[in-house]
Amino acid sequence: MNRKRTKVISMAGILAFFFLFVLPVRAQVAGTTLSGTIIDTSGKGVANAKMSIKNVATGQSVQTLTNESGIYGVPGLAPGDYEISVFAEGFSTNVSNVTVAGGPAQTMNLTLAGVLSLQDLGFSAGQTQGSAQDQARLDKRSHMLKIHQRLGLIATVPIVASVITGTQAGGRSTSSTDRYLHLALGSAAGDLYFMSAYYAIRAPRIPGTQTRGPIRLHKALAWIHGPGMILTPILGAIAFDQKSKGEKVHGIASAHGAVAIVTAAAYGASILSVSFKF
Amino acid sequence: MEKKIALLAFLSLLAIPAYAQTDSQWTLEQSTLSYHVSHPLHQVDGVSHAARGKGICHAGQCDFLIAVPVKSFDSGDSNRDLHMLQVARGGEFPMLTVRTRLPEDAADSTTIFADLEIDFSGQTAKFRHIPFQLLTQGPVSKISGTIPTTLTDFKIDPPSLLAMPVKNEIPVRVEMTWRREK
Repeated sequence: MNRKRTKVISMAGILAFFFLFVLPVRAQVAGTTLSGTIIDTSGKGVANAKMSIKNVATGQSVQTLTNESGIYGVPGLAPGDYEISVFAEGFSTNVSNVTVAGGPAQTMNLTLAGVLSLQDLGFSAGQTQGSAQDQARLDKRSHMLKIHQRLGLIATVPIVASVITGTQAGGRSTSSTDRYLHLALGSAAGDLYFMSAYYAIRAPRIPGTQTRGPIRLHKALAWIHGPGMILTPILGAIAFDQKSKGEKVHGIASAHGAVAIVTAAAYGASILSVSFKF
Repeated sequence: MEKKIALLAFLSLLAIPAYAQTDSQWTLEQSTLSYHVSHPLHQVDGVSHAARGKGICHAGQCDFLIAVPVKSFDSGDSNRDLHMLQVARGGEFPMLTVRTRLPEDAADSTTIFADLEIDFSGQTAKFRHIPFQLLTQGPVSKISGTIPTTLTDFKIDPPSLLAMPVKNEIPVRVEMTWRREK
């Protein structure tokens, strides 16, 4: 009797165990199986495309992958509206909507378009790929030209001051103090000028760039104030020597004032030519 | 039953080439892109005509890609252009690209609203619902509009003149002529 009872209990246990597994399996396969093929524009199946099937009403989503032929299948979908998103490397994401009607199976094929690339537009790799070196060259150029600009602006102060003091230093009743002050200001102007010029001349050139706009005038004027800034102190030194000997400034040294004024004017015009830019 | 399977197989054979087709394609024929920079002392416009673009349409949606070399923008001063190229990190990121997706029937409208994804200066910025005017005559569509870009969108430090920086807003005016090919 006891053996019979034990057998019945065991059978009931096995049945209960069996139902525990079977019920979820039945629950999974209930609903509609949505399946189809994900293809590219040539008609070839897209393998390993990631798919997300989202129930619009509940917000719940199911993820799956296509097989090597681009085929997918998602079982157990309840009737309703779904948003299908398909992602695959090298393709544009395809987001489509489908209404699951509630039958046992439904088919939805989708096409993935390739992502347009810069090569598709006819740009070469050389045009589209930058480099840290190119950027470093641009950075260095900007940095050096900023220093050139600052030193150039600072140099205007002793240049203007030396032009003003030049009228005192070169006059008939000139004193050695006037001459030394003029010499000191002229030297400071020359030092700042050549330091500024160094940063402009040594700034890296950018290949393939043509000079356009006001910078052309700025550079052209340098052919006037550059030689002028060399010639002016040479003539000034001769004039200083002649004055120190009590002589009247004569010969080539008498051009010192005129050369200095032309140089200063060209320098001022050069600054103005690029002042209204950043 | 066998007949049904044969019919399904036949339909599948028809369906796949239909999906494989590209519905239509767009090619950028002409373009003028110009950025505008405002500074307390002056206004600057940099213009480029060097953009190239394509659009590929499938299943009622068109994916567009437009690209332009950053160094092709000309403001009339090569020194300023090189400075802009430097601040925009154009040496490292030489291209400005715009991607957008539009419905294929958008060409029939006079105004379209586009969601744009712009890559510039190593940054990607998204601009939603940007209005463009559209004039379509046959296969040719002329599109114009302004994208309200700012320097901060692309993490660019504003360049300055005489210690005064330029404004953050650098709107980009777009005028393009596209041709549709079936």
